[in-house]
This record gives sequence, structure tokens and C-alpha cells, in this order.
Amino acid sequence: MNKILIEASGLKRYYQRGSETVKALDGVDIQIHAGEIVSILGPSGCGKTTLINLLSCLDAPTAGKLTVDGKSVDGLTEDQLVEVRRGTLGFVFQNFSLLPTLTVTENIELPLMFLGLKPDPIQTANILAAVGLTDRATHLPRELSGGQMQRVAIARALISNPKILVADEPTGNLDKATGESIMALFQRLSAEEGLAILLTTHNTAFGAIADRAITLEDGRIVSEVRPSS
Amino acid sequence: MTNHYKPDPFVLSRYFNLAIKNLRRRMVRTGLTIAGVSLAVTVAVSLGGFMLGYRGAIDKSIDMLGFQVMIMAKGCPYEAATMMLKGGTGLLYLPGEIYDKVRNDSEIESITPIFVGVAQKQGSGIREDSAEKNFLIVSGVEVASYKVMKPWINFKSGPGFDGGRWFSPDSRNEVVLGFEAAEYEQRKVGDTFFATITPAGKPEPVQHELKVVGILDRTGTQDDGTVFLPLEVTREYFGRPGQLTILGIKLKQFNAVNMRNFETRWLKLPEVQVVGLQQVKNTLVGLVATAQTMIAAVAVIAIIVAFIGVINTILMSVYERTSEIGIMKALGARRDSIFQLIWLETVMMCLAGGIVGSLMAVIGSNLVEKAIKSIADMGVSGSIVQITPAIIGYAILGAVILGFFAGLYPAWRASSMRPVEAINKGN
Repeated sequence: MNKILIEASGLKRYYQRGSETVKALDGVDIQIHAGEIVSILGPSGCGKTTLINLLSCLDAPTAGKLTVDGKSVDGLTEDQLVEVRRGTLGFVFQNFSLLPTLTVTENIELPLMFLGLKPDPIQTANILAAVGLTDRATHLPRELSGGQMQRVAIARALISNPKILVADEPTGNLDKATGESIMALFQRLSAEEGLAILLTTHNTAFGAIADRAITLEDGRIVSEVRPSS
Repeated sequence: MTNHYKPDPFVLSRYFNLAIKNLRRRMVRTGLTIAGVSLAVTVAVSLGGFMLGYRGAIDKSIDMLGFQVMIMAKGCPYEAATMMLKGGTGLLYLPGEIYDKVRNDSEIESITPIFVGVAQKQGSGIREDSAEKNFLIVSGVEVASYKVMKPWINFKSGPGFDGGRWFSPDSRNEVVLGFEAAEYEQRKVGDTFFATITPAGKPEPVQHELKVVGILDRTGTQDDGTVFLPLEVTREYFGRPGQLTILGIKLKQFNAVNMRNFETRWLKLPEVQVVGLQQVKNTLVGLVATAQTMIAAVAVIAIIVAFIGVINTILMSVYERTSEIGIMKALGARRDSIFQLIWLETVMMCLAGGIVGSLMAVIGSNLVEKAIKSIADMGVSGSIVQITPAIIGYAILGAVILGFFAGLYPAWRASSMRPVEAINKGN
């Protein structure tokens, strides 16, 4: 078994809505290993996004223990959580979330600016080639299709060589064929780069390409299968 | 991992680049905010230029009088000084024997008696002027002592002006014109010049036909607009034989103690007042200070409005980009990175406003000067708005400081957003 990159136990996330306590996540135990693709499935509101927000240190749990890349993140401040995220986690969002004023290359290299690092044109070119966007390097997001924008978002997530790629509904805004190409890209990155990929999806077919498919309902894990085995 | 990347020594330039692109996203809003800052800076620079220029103009005008002390008939010293600096009406006169008494004071280095009168321009026939501008300042001077007091005075040269000279002391029909007076009346050496003077106590004016014997070079002082006649002749034409308007005096050693002693000596005379030009300067500056305070208040209000406008613009921008800020945090931006970015945007906007505002102030300085002069008689001749590189530097620095403070709250607010909430809010 590969190294454990994320380990959570008894993970809870409760929200207060007026007098009502919403249990978005209610005691989840999960492990993510290096090089595996884990898909989180389930209907809307089941807690998929809440779970990956917690696992990727974008949000803090109400209770439970969480370790990312061997470091406990319990009680860390926001700036300390940023340090955990930097270089360990890469993010892909459903709505691509590219900065509209930056070119493809500038968007991809943006995380390096926050890390204070100088972009390496060769590395950027390699990543652009890996996502099939070499000829779109100087384009603005508005000049790209949805699938191309999602590829840019993936390239941006990869630029800092993270250990884990977190993708929240990465195919949610894409047509079926484009979605399949994105999932194929994930498989290739996982296989070639040894990247752990944690993704949420409504699409059970896409979930089936994962090494493990975890299904959530009402904030709890109700099933965990290994579709590819 | 990321360890094959090298630290970027120019990472700040990438923040600049991103900040500029963010500002360009809403060109109209950014432009209007910059315009607001520019307006405040324009007012502030113009005010600074006016304060500096006016003091400079007073200094220059007073220095160019050539004397440090005036003895004149009792009355308002400000009015008298203004008349000497820029010309005016409502003159008071000294008995001529005062000159004989004062001239032998051992502290005096040089002294010159001056008679000032106001003549009508009627008869010149050159221009159709408004009634209130239809007069000439006529100075009766004693050439020898006047030249000692103002050694820088020269005659204009060139075609039509060569051969200029002072009038003979006993001449009755020779006149010397100041630079602007000659230009205004379009007179050259050898031309005829008409001055219509109403002698004291006489109901009817008398027209005098004079010959222009010299035209002075530009001095930048009240002399430029003055018509010079021999002292005795002027007093006669104005019907005030033996009288004087002022005695211009240069002391051997001009300091506060000597000035006080001199004043004490001559204030004993019943008809006179002794006015130090430093005192005149202070009076003029004091009078204008009130107006300057009012303008400063307007500038402060403009700056406050600009300050609020900048905060509002940046807050709107932050609000619109809530999701983006969340994404940037997810991508590894720390609080200080977001703070720096938003702060840079604010400071750059204010810097642009500072530069544009300073340029507007420089370009519009002539208009401002004309406007100020048209509203009020500033008591001095020459330029009263002087915008220096130092003023521009301070104004731009001030604009940057404005941005520095205006950006604090929006930048803090943006940097304090929790990433997941920011991303969700934007979605």
C-alpha cells in the first residue's frame, strides 16, 4: 500500500442555521493514499463538497482528527492551513475559476506567484503539453471552450507539483465527451505522475474509473467500492 | 515538489501586473475614481502653488521696490503698500519738507522721493477700455536717486526703442513709459503720449501732450505699468506742488533693531507713518491666509471625498471578486499576499490620480492664476501661482499615502476572507 497522504477519523462539520443544527458531515473516516484516484459520489447536499473542503484544509472541522501529508491540522490557524495546502494540494473547481484577465500561461503560473517562485518556462510548457493546450498558451479564458478552461485549471493545479489533486465536480459544467477526456487525463496523471486524485462527481460512470468510489448520504459514508478491481 | 523552482526576486512585479489588470477590468469605475483623486490633487497642488507663488510674488515685488522702508502719510499701511506694489487710487500725500528732514538721517544709505498720481487714459485713443481700467499710474521721480534705488532698471532696445533715456529733470513734456504701459499704448521712443490729469481742486482735467523719450525693459513689477515723469512736473500737473506720496528708504544696516530705532525717530512727526516692508509683507500674507484657509478647506473636503471614493471602489471590487479571492487562497495565497494585491491596486489608483492631478494643476495653473486675479486684487504683480517639482512631489506622495490608508480596510477585509466561504459566496 502506498503512503497515506490524507487520514481523517470521526470528521464532523456542523452548521448552525437559525436554531437548527445542520449536520453536513457526521463522522467520516477516510484515508487517501499516494497515487490513487478516489471519487466521492452522492446526491446533492450529501456532503461531498464539505468533505473535500475539510480534507483539503479549505475549511475546519467541527470535530474529528485530520492529518495531511503526515501533519495534523487540528487547531491550525488559517495561515498555517495555507502552508499545509501549499505544495501539497492542487485544486480544480467545477466552474474552472480562472482569472479572466490573465492568459492561459499566467493563470497556470499564478500559484507560483503566491509561493514567491519563479516560473520555469520549460515546466509550464510541459504541463501545457500534458493537458493539450500548447497552442492556447497566450489566450484569455474567454477565448477557450469549457473543456479547455478545465484543462487550464488542471494545469494550474499541477504547476506546483502537488501530491494530491482535489477536484470538486470537475466535469459538472462539461458535456459528456469533454468530461470523459478530463477523466482520462486524471487517470493518466495518476498513473504517470503518481498523483493522488480526490474528486467529487454526480456521474456514477465517472466514479467508476476511480480506484475507490465512496458514496455519501446525509453526511455519512454509506458505501466504499473498488470499481477497477 | 516545488523545490526545482527558484525564488523569484521580481515577484512584486507580477503582483503589479495582476493589480494593473484587475484595475483595467472596470475601466469606467477605475477612471472615475482616479478622476476623483486627480481633482483633489489638482486643488491641493494649485493651493500649494498659490501659497508658494504668492509669497514669492510678494517677496519679489517688495525686493524690486528697491527700498526696505517707506515713509508715507498716515493712513492704512496695507492700502499704501498695495498702491506702491501694484498701483491704486485714494492716495494720501506728505508735505515736501518731510523729505528734507529725513534725508539727513545718519542711518540712511539712500532715499528717493516719489509722487504718485492717477491720470485718465482719455486721449490716447488706442483702446476701448472699461471705465475702471481707464487710468494710468503716473510716478514723479527724481531720476538720480531713483536709479540708485533700482540699479537694475534698463531701457528697452531694438527697432523703435533704441536711444531710450531718462527725461531731463526740468523737462515739462518728456515721459518714460514702463514696458507694459508702452506695449498697452503701442508707443515707441519718439512717439507722442497724452495724459489727462485733473489737478487737485480743479473741476476740469487738463490734457498734456508728452514725448516718449524712453521705454523701460520689463522688470516684472509695478514699474512695468507705470508712466514716469519728472518729480517737480508731476507735482505741478497734479496741482500738489511740494507734496510727496512716499519716501523710499534703504538703511545702511537693515535689521529689527535699526528698523525700530528708525521708526521711533520719525514717528514723532505728526503727519507720517513709517512702514517696514517686512511688515507689509506680513500684512499681505496674513490677509491672503484667510482665503488660502478657505481653499485649503475645500482641498481637504475634496481629499476626504476622494478617500471615501477610493475605499468604496476597492470594496466593490473586492466584493465582486470574492470568489476569485477564495480561489487564490486555495491556490496558496496567504493573507499577506491578498492584502498586498488589494493594497497595491489602491495605491496604484491613487498614484495615477496623483500624477494626473499634478499634470492638470500644471496645465491649468495659468487659468487658476487668472481666476484668482479676476476675483481679488492680490496686491502684487507678476505670477502668483508657482508649481514647483517639490509641490508635485509632495502631492504625489500625498496621493500615495491616501491610497496607503484607503487600501487598509478593503485589503484587510479581502485578506480575512475564509477561502471556502469566499468561494461559495462567489458561486
